[in-house]
Amino acid sequence: MFKHQSKEVGFAGDNDSKSPKLERLPLRPKKQNNNNRIGGLDVVIFIILFLFVLAIIFPFYNAFVISISSEHAYFNSDLLLWPQEVTWEAYRSVFTNSAMWKGFGVTMILLVGGTAYQLFFTVITGYAMSRDKWFGKNFVMNMILVTMFFGGGLVPYYYLITSLGLYNNILVMIIPGAIDTFNMLLMRNYFASLPKELEESARIDGANDIQIFVKVYLPLSLPMLATVGLFFAVGNWNSWYNSMLFITTSDYRPLQMVLRDMISSISSSVESPTAKTYSEGLVMASIFFTIVPMMCFYPFLQKFFVKGIVVGALKG
Amino acid sequence: MESLTIVQRQSPWRNIGKQLKQSRFLIAMIIPAVAFYFIFCYIPMYGVLMAFTTYYPKLGIWGSLQYHFVGFQNFSIIFNNDPKFLNVLRNTVLIGFGKIIISFVSAIVMALLINDLRMRHFKKVAQTIVTFPHFLSWVVIAGFINVLFARTGIIDDIIAYCGGTRVDFLTNGNFFLALIFTSDVWKEAGWSSIIYLATMAGISPELYEAADIDGATRLQKTWHITLPGIKPTAVLLLIMSVGGLLSAGFDQIFNLYNPLVYDQVDILDTYIYRQTFKDLVNPGVGTAIGLFKSVVSFLLVVVVDRIAKLCGERGII
Repeated sequence: MFKHQSKEVGFAGDNDSKSPKLERLPLRPKKQNNNNRIGGLDVVIFIILFLFVLAIIFPFYNAFVISISSEHAYFNSDLLLWPQEVTWEAYRSVFTNSAMWKGFGVTMILLVGGTAYQLFFTVITGYAMSRDKWFGKNFVMNMILVTMFFGGGLVPYYYLITSLGLYNNILVMIIPGAIDTFNMLLMRNYFASLPKELEESARIDGANDIQIFVKVYLPLSLPMLATVGLFFAVGNWNSWYNSMLFITTSDYRPLQMVLRDMISSISSSVESPTAKTYSEGLVMASIFFTIVPMMCFYPFLQKFFVKGIVVGALKG
Repeated sequence: MESLTIVQRQSPWRNIGKQLKQSRFLIAMIIPAVAFYFIFCYIPMYGVLMAFTTYYPKLGIWGSLQYHFVGFQNFSIIFNNDPKFLNVLRNTVLIGFGKIIISFVSAIVMALLINDLRMRHFKKVAQTIVTFPHFLSWVVIAGFINVLFARTGIIDDIIAYCGGTRVDFLTNGNFFLALIFTSDVWKEAGWSSIIYLATMAGISPELYEAADIDGATRLQKTWHITLPGIKPTAVLLLIMSVGGLLSAGFDQIFNLYNPLVYDQVDILDTYIYRQTFKDLVNPGVGTAIGLFKSVVSFLLVVVVDRIAKLCGERGII
């Protein structure tokens, strides 16, 4: 029953995994030994990747160093490669900053409410689209696919939202995201890959489509639900676009928007140094406030994300 | 047997009552989706009619069409009387095209590197680290870049320490352009490589064994087996990315840019935004630019898809 899962491909290219090696070993023992030794090419690959990894880590490190160095050290040291005049003052002010916590509250609402809302509509649509023929299926599918390649653009969208009464309404950050076409197709592909016999036997037992969906297919697709749910959760955590366009009350600004304002205050100091209201250290500390939750969870959740992109793209 | 064929040839509209009754639960499940796509995707498509009017929000689309219909005047304004627009269009094509090529190549190179890496522990750690930036928002990355590349930032400090002169990365258009491409690779290369890695894992190991027996080197195996193996996926992803040519990454540029580099990095989306919401130009003009962008993007996808099919690849349409 779960055979389809074994077909799914793992994260890394598994060309040198254990089982093929065992099969190949008796055939050409010398060659295999040679293939497993670390050669010149491996060193080159290692060095390139290592440099890239360093380049990824460095901005995080630099931001952290600035966040725990004093402002005096930031402006006066020639080379701030490691923390100088260490102070946790920036973190203290972030944690006591009411705007930050308000933003955090709004983001939590989006994270919980938005994710549940998006997951519900995306999954039921994906399920309906995965079933065999039903009246109007092709029409709906074409209607959805067209939107992937053609849209009205920003300005009509703006006036639509305004006329729906969503302007400066906290719901504007949730409602327009009900269905994400990519994730919907992901769910559709997954449901379609489950054996059809499940549906047939449930139907013989007298179940209707909704019962089949809730009692048979949904419990089997929990890993995929987790994947899609995580994509939505990250999207909500990072969302700023709709709030920038439509939210004017500071009480409704999500964390990313609060952060954006702080960052633009330091970047606009490029032109006018007097415009600066936050220190670099404080802004970097705020950045860590927003990304630390993700940094903590990511290594454990990575496999779900990877599964999502692999299933979605290879089968779609 | 005969009756079976007849059943299959039935028009979809026959027995419509019975069909509706049979699929009533599925139809109930799809109703929210139809409503959603209708409201949030199709109403804005109807809204593109604004492009042919001088739009007054109080009158609405229909009222504006009745009293302030201007035909193609908005289009003639942007193409004939707006030197900024042509510059913006040039920037968009340059940045969009550059990004497609650079991200395409960097993803494949990254996948090849990770795939060929033999140190399994480092491989795991490296993959976790290089895929992570994909999950950061451009807001956060803009924060990183603003301190890294500022005149007082660490990069300039290092340059000065080594005896060079400080460079204005953030206000010099050319450096800024390079920064846009680099930060795009920094954020997405690792993540985009996953799909290629999955494809590579699906290439039959027998091909590599046969090449081993023939005495092929690792580079030869990469060139003659791995690259042809990922070609269909690569073509598919390339076609998909062409649709985004004129989008060129609003999130990134909007969060990073400043007025000093508008000349080189202002793109269609940021231009529409500033015209409509900051300079308060009539919304009809912004809609016209948006419509132009949508139509051209759509045509690009269709054309590239045709070309791919002519070359014997699987298309997407």
